[in-house]
Order: sequence, then structure tokens, then C-alpha cells
Amino acid sequence: MGAGAARTTPAGRSSFERSAAARRADPLFRGGLTAVSALVLVILGFFFVFLIVKARPALAEQGVLSFVFSNDWNPSKDVFGAWPLLAGTLITSAIAMVIGVPIAVATALFITELSPHRLRQPLTILVELLAAVPSVVYGLWGVFVLIPKLRGTEQNFSDSLSFLPFVGGSVAGPNYFIAGLLLAIMILPIVSAISREVIATVPVEHKEAALALGATRWEMIRIAVLPYSRSGITGAALLGLGRAVGETIAVVLVIGNATQVGEHIFDQGYSLAAVVANEFGEAANDPLHSGALIAAGLLLFILTLGINGIARALVVRAERRQSGTGPTPEPVGVAGMSATGGAA
Amino acid sequence: MRSTKFIAVLGAGTLALGVAACGSDDTSTSTSTSPAAGGGGDTPKVQATLNGAGSTFAAPIYQEVGSKLKSGGLTVNYQGVGSGDGVAQLQAGTADFAGSDPALSEEDRGKLKVDAIQVPIALGAITLSYNLPGQKSGIKLDGPVAADIYLGKIKKWNDPKIAADNDGIDLPDTNITVVHRSDSSGTTKGFTTFLAAYSPQWDKGPGVDKTVKWPTGTGAKGNDGVAAAVKQTEGAVGYVEQAFALQNGFTFADVKNKAGDFIAPTLESTSAAGEGIDVPADLGISTIDSPNPKAYPIASQTFLDFPMDPCKAGAKPDVAKGLMAFATYLLGSEGQDTIKQLSYAPLPEALDTKATAAIAKTTCNGKALGGA
Amino acid sequence: MSTSAQTLLAPASGRRRTTDRVMRGVLALGTLVALIPLVLVIYYLFARGLKGMSAGFFTSDPTGSFLGEPGGVKSAILGTLEIVALAAAIAIPIGIGVALYLVEFGKKGLFAQIVRYFVDVMTGVPSIVFGLFIYITLVTSGIGGSFTGWKGSLALALLMLPVVTRSAEVVLNLVPEALREAALALGVPRWKVTLKIVLPTALPGLITGSLLAVARGMGETAPLLFTSASVFGTTYNLGERMNSLPVQIFQDISQPNDAIVNRAWASALTLVLLILAITLIARLAARRSAIT
Repeated sequence: MGAGAARTTPAGRSSFERSAAARRADPLFRGGLTAVSALVLVILGFFFVFLIVKARPALAEQGVLSFVFSNDWNPSKDVFGAWPLLAGTLITSAIAMVIGVPIAVATALFITELSPHRLRQPLTILVELLAAVPSVVYGLWGVFVLIPKLRGTEQNFSDSLSFLPFVGGSVAGPNYFIAGLLLAIMILPIVSAISREVIATVPVEHKEAALALGATRWEMIRIAVLPYSRSGITGAALLGLGRAVGETIAVVLVIGNATQVGEHIFDQGYSLAAVVANEFGEAANDPLHSGALIAAGLLLFILTLGINGIARALVVRAERRQSGTGPTPEPVGVAGMSATGGAA
Repeated sequence: MRSTKFIAVLGAGTLALGVAACGSDDTSTSTSTSPAAGGGGDTPKVQATLNGAGSTFAAPIYQEVGSKLKSGGLTVNYQGVGSGDGVAQLQAGTADFAGSDPALSEEDRGKLKVDAIQVPIALGAITLSYNLPGQKSGIKLDGPVAADIYLGKIKKWNDPKIAADNDGIDLPDTNITVVHRSDSSGTTKGFTTFLAAYSPQWDKGPGVDKTVKWPTGTGAKGNDGVAAAVKQTEGAVGYVEQAFALQNGFTFADVKNKAGDFIAPTLESTSAAGEGIDVPADLGISTIDSPNPKAYPIASQTFLDFPMDPCKAGAKPDVAKGLMAFATYLLGSEGQDTIKQLSYAPLPEALDTKATAAIAKTTCNGKALGGA
Repeated sequence: MSTSAQTLLAPASGRRRTTDRVMRGVLALGTLVALIPLVLVIYYLFARGLKGMSAGFFTSDPTGSFLGEPGGVKSAILGTLEIVALAAAIAIPIGIGVALYLVEFGKKGLFAQIVRYFVDVMTGVPSIVFGLFIYITLVTSGIGGSFTGWKGSLALALLMLPVVTRSAEVVLNLVPEALREAALALGVPRWKVTLKIVLPTALPGLITGSLLAVARGMGETAPLLFTSASVFGTTYNLGERMNSLPVQIFQDISQPNDAIVNRAWASALTLVLLILAITLIARLAARRSAIT
């Protein structure tokens, strides 16, 4: 700290300065703001320590590896193997990525490279509107529209394409696929927004060079835009994944809340966040059960931390490559701002 | 000018956080001091807000009675979150009373800060409700078949095992979607007690508890959640309290009882389950799988639990009085009439008398509370 | 780049032009597909939500009555406004304060980088984890009662804070350095420069960021489930249990009663319109900004 501030201090002490009181207020002001920043760190530190302390009884009893990987979640027997929950989180997030990312990237490419100029702004706003819908509303829509309307189609799909892995069998109303589909819609705006920003950093010269060489629009995208923005788009997709992994309310309503690993994508399951939402109240006075749920929260926390860490590194690097010494050293902030809302 | 204002805002924000972190001392169970807003008849005239949580099996009772008492000044906030959650909240002191279908166990009582009064308030039938368009009520199911459905061994409605007891009924070739509870539930305990009594495989596998490891099916929160899932899913079967089944026009099964007869859940057959049962000292009765030949086998009781000395548990004296008045009203004739209206079975008289006597033991910081 | 481009020097063949057309079509189709859920969600919100807006929808509390009318959602709407207002009162000043520190004092220093990193970490924390944290620290410990409105506000504030800070940092960075230097050269103390020059210049942008954070917080369910819980009645006391729209919708969804499900749709429509209104104001504020 301080390097930048130190440089400006001499100016602050120039002879024009009027009162000593005003001068004394400066360190106070600075100290206050530093304290507020430190407070945030303290809260986060406390937060992390508290979660670990509270999760310990369960992790000690069950063993960390056994907690994460054993396939048996049975609170009434004090057995807490979170694998069915973790698997559900991973399966639904994977479905969300498979459906959501290609569409989000297509949207970003269309808006930045193909759409007529006057359509760009409206299209951007429309896609971002998806982020303004709260997750409980997506859940509502999932329960009363998606589940009943898609069940027949899902069953047909399941019957006719049963040779595919993880397809086939009887379709449960709420299931992994519905949860994944909702998540795909929910991550779409953020993946699309960040992809758009990354794509916008592709140097115009590269694109013009491709076109000048006789490339068609698509070829220009393929040889100039995509290679340049690949890592940034990967980062955008990972940020979407981070969001999907932590989503709670929409998932808990449509995943089926069954504590086993489903046999196929149309089977019921559970997710880490969903089990926390469902079981927290009743576990209040059972240190083992509540510890297991906090451990599930911790696992979720670590998972999102890792995913977001990689994602941010990729996005920041991709955007820095272009902007160099631009005035915005943290481009992800803009993206985060334009694509708020969503996860709950 | 602007700068000072900003600092003030900044300061206020930080202060708010500081205050929040330290916390104030008021409890969530505030008592109202406003004058009585009318109210007549039997309704108690106590000004208090009672926060309750627990059994969704009994939620209609608490909520309906609560909405009736409101005009008299007694506000009842009841959250139907499952019996397990309710008892946990009573133990943690986040609720003034709990609704729980199973009696409190030794372990439950051990975690209470202040010992609880437990009174049964009603009996109800746990129906096996199904969503089969065109099927009327009265598909016959016995314990072993119900257990096999919930074990995932019977997957279709026209399975020969179901058909065996249902001569002359045209069962469809529909997949069975099993719906069960995802929360810790007294209804689940009642239902699994019944299943385990007839299926050794169930007894050894999932077993009997408020929450078990379900071999198959979709989990839903609360009796209301199960009812909603059954309603939305063709081919679904779920276990829900009869009030929920009737509210939604569900069709439900006749179930074979201990005496070997198929019995439909009705007011009479549920009441029959409560006749001649053993009443232990803590009133912790169980009406599942009654030997009475007229009894519906999956009938459950439901209890109201609250601290014997609510003041010691942190409640204000008005809340203690309110709890006593609330319990007395529930067991009184008006309360029991509402219970009947909601299609639960009222308590047998002898039991009601014992329960009313138990309520009189409520104290506030050791002092007896006069009649409401 | 150039090597692969050189292979394209041959004149655009029919096949290449077809590929181009097909791929353009695919991208356009992808965009269209992305908008389908938006159209459907909005359609159902209005179609079912308007139907659910019964006479007393805005003016009566949920009754909880099993047999009778379900009542409206007055307590939930007011509760949401109260909880979010307090959350904003906590998160916005602190969030902007942190951003001011980062931009005006911390800059690229080690401490500032650490703060920046952890603010980033906070943006990625699933909202239910914040709810969990408040629940185990404040609710079960019984500090200031059990479930209370202000605990819900705290959980939301934790969620909104990084959003405020990140956006504020971007906006504050856009304030031209020359403006600061000019004032400092005139001998104005640093704090006055920050409060009288930097903040007013950045104000529209700060408002935008803060309002977007408010919009984000308003739709959150998970952090409120175990902090402010839910009640039927309206209360203006943040020290009591408090109802909120998202929690009310969440509970109404799993009700078999059609009237209650209709109420959930109507509440959802109300919530979405509230959020859209705030987002719209935020965008208008952004448009008035002189520096972006």
C-alpha cells in the first residue's frame, strides 16, 4: 500500500493548504477507508474459519475423503457421504455447460460480428434481461411449465436414443436434465456478456486482414476472432460454471431431492446447495448433521473458488492482452456489473 | 456540505454493521401491547405472538386455529417445516412451540433447555394418494405391496402384485412415480413404521425414522409439497395426511390393517385407531398399525410441544400465557370442532382430559399461571 | 494468423459461401434460441401472474388459512423493501468506501491487491453460503432474537458488497487523474478532493452500480431462508421475523392449492417488475454519466 499515495502527498502539503485541521483530516480519512477494507477481510477470514470449525465434527467423524466420495447420505444413521450431492451438482452443471455455453457464445458472436448495428444494443439488453429474473422465478417456471410440458418429449428422447450413455429409462418429473436446462438459461447472460467483452478485444486489424484476404464472415470469425479469444471464452464459460455450481433455489425445486446418484440424466438426484437448503433447519441441534451440511457448503465454496479463480485468470489475461495499459485494470468488474442478478 | 453528509452515511453504515454484529437483546417473540381488537366467544383474550414450527401433517390445524384466534389478539405464526425441524427449533429456542407427530424421544428431550409439555391434539390418517386419471378411490394395497412400491421393486401400476388384491379394477400400464418427503418428518416416521411392520426388507433397509434413505422416488418438502408433486405428476403415489388429500380431490387407497381388512381412511376408521391405546405418562401415544379391526392402519397422532416453563426458555410472560391459552383452546370443544372440520379425528375424550390436565402444569419462572 | 489466412487467397468458392451462410444461420439461430426462454418466462409471468392478482393481493397479508382464502402478499412486498433497504444502507457505503480505498490510496499496493482478490472471491461465493454463515453465527446463537429481518439484511449485504465495490472501482478509475492533480496542486486536502471532486464526478456511475447490486439482492431467496425466515403478518420492526417476496414465492411453489400457486405467479411478476424498475433507473443513471 501507499506507493501511489506517497507520491501525491507532497502536493497535499503545498503552501496553499489552509488549515492544520484540514491536513490532520487526511490521515484520518485514509485510515477510515483502510479500516473499512480491512473489515471486509476480517469478516471473510472469520467466515472461513467459522465454517471450518463448525464443519469439523462431521469431517472428523466421517473423514474428509469419505465425506466427499462415499455414496451414502443418510442423516438418520449419522452417515454423511456427500457423493450423491456432489455428483448431482457436477451432472447438472455439466448439462448446463453443454447446452448453455454454445448458445451463449453464438449469441456473443452474432451480436458483435454479424448483427446489424442498430440491433446490437437491443439484443444485448434482451440477453441481459435473462439475468434480471430471480432464481426463484426460474424455479417456479421450471416446476409449473418445464416439468409438465417436457416430460413427454423427454420420454420419447429417452426411449429412442437409449443407446447414448446416461440416456434411457423412465423419466421422473423433476430430474437432472430439467435442473441443467434451467441452469443453462441462468448462466447464459453472464457467459454471453463476458464472451462479448473478450471478443470485442480482438484487434480490428486482424479481422480486416482476414476479410481483405478474401475470407467470408464466418471464416473471419473462425481464423481471426475465435483463436484470439479462445482462452477468454473458456474463462467466461468457467465463470458460468461457477455460477451453476452454486445455484440453489431453482435447482432444489426441480432436481427431485433424492439422495442417490441417478442412473441417467432424466433421473432424480440432489445437489450440494439443495441439500443445505432443505436440511439446514432440522439439523440445527445435531452438530454432526449440521457439521456435514456446513462441510457441504464448504465444499461448494472451495469448488466455486477454484473454478472462479481459473476463470478470472483466463478472462483477465485475455482482455489485458488487448488493452495493455488501459484505464480499467479490472475488466472483469465491468462484466460482473453488466451481468449481475441470477444466482441464488 | 456534501462531504459531511457522505461521512455521516459512511459512519451510519459502519455503525449499523457494528450494532448488528453486537446484536440487540429483543427477542423475536414480541408481545403486542395494543388494546384488544374485539373477539368474542371462547377465544382466549391474551395479547401475544406465538412462533411455532414443525409438523406439516398438523399445519392446517395450527394455521386454521391461528387465523380464528387472531381477532382475539393471539397471533400464531406457524411454519410447516417438518416435525424434525420443529423439534430442532424448539430445542434451539427459535420457536415458542413445536408441532411434532411422533412423541419426543429421550434424545429429543435431552437437547431441550427447558423440559417440554407434550400434548396430543388430534389424530389423522396418512393416505396413500395416487394420481391415476380415471381411477376412483379404493385401489386396495397391503403393507408388503406398499413397501415394495417404495422399495422400487414394483414399478408399474398394473404389476401382478397390485392386481392380486384388485380384482375387477382396470389398472393402467403407467410407471409408478414414488413421492416421499425430503425433510425430517413425523408423517414419514408414521409411514415407515407401517412399512417396516409388514416388510422385513424395509425394516432392515431404510428402516423407521423421521428421515430415511429412500431407495427410489422424488423428494418433496412437507405434506403440502408431496401433495403438490402427486397433483402434478401422472402415475405418482405419495403419502399425505388426509386433509391434504381431500383438499386436492385426490383418490387414495384402502389399506389392509392388522386384523386383515382393507379399510378406507375416514373419520371413523381414524378415530377407531385411537380407541383403547396405551397412554404412557408423557402422553406419548402411537396409533400406527392399530389391532382394532375397524381401524385404518396408517393413522398418526400429532403433538403440540412447548416448554413447561416458557419464561425460563426466554419467552415473555405473555407468551407463556398465550401458549397455555392456545393449547387449551386446541383441546377445547371449539378447537376440536375445527379439527373435525379439517377432517382430522378429534382426540378420544379420556385422552383429551389427560392432555388438558397436563397443560395446567405450565409455569412462568416457577410460578403457576392462572387459567386463561 | 497470416499463414492460415494465406490459404484463403483462392476466390471464394460456392462451398465456402454455403458454409458461410450456414454458419451465419447457426449463430443467428443460437441467438434466437437464447431469447426463447426470455419470451416464455415473460409470457407465463404475465399470463398467470395477472390472473393471480386478486382483489387483496397488494393490500392483505397471507392468511395461512387452510380452507379459506390464501390472502395477498402485502407483508412480503414490504418485508422485501425493508430488508433490501437496510442491506443497501450497509453494503453501499462500505462497498464504495472499499472502492475509494482501492482507487485513491491502495492502488497497486500489496494490501490493496489482497483486498481486491478477496472482494473477487466474495463475488463467487454462492449466496446460500452467506445465508449459512449468518445462520450459524447469528441465528442459532440467538443474538438479538432468532430469525430477524436485519439478519436477512446482513446476509444480503454480504452478497451485494462485492458487486458495489467492483463496479465502484471501475467507475472511480474512470475519473480523470488530471482532475485530482489539479485540485491537489491548489492545496486542497486529499479527503476533500475525494469527497468533493472524485465522488461527484463518479456519482452517476456509482448510483448505477449500487442500484444493480440492489436489484441483485432483491431477487435472492437462499440467504433469507434461514435468516429472516417468514411470517404472515406485516411488520415494520427489523428485529422481528420478516416475510419477503422470494421466500413467499418459494413456499407457495410447493403448495398444492391452486389459489396459492396463482399467488406465487403474481408475486413473481411483482418481484420481476420491481427488479426491472430498479435496473431501468440504474441504466438511466448510467446514461447521465459524463465519464463513461
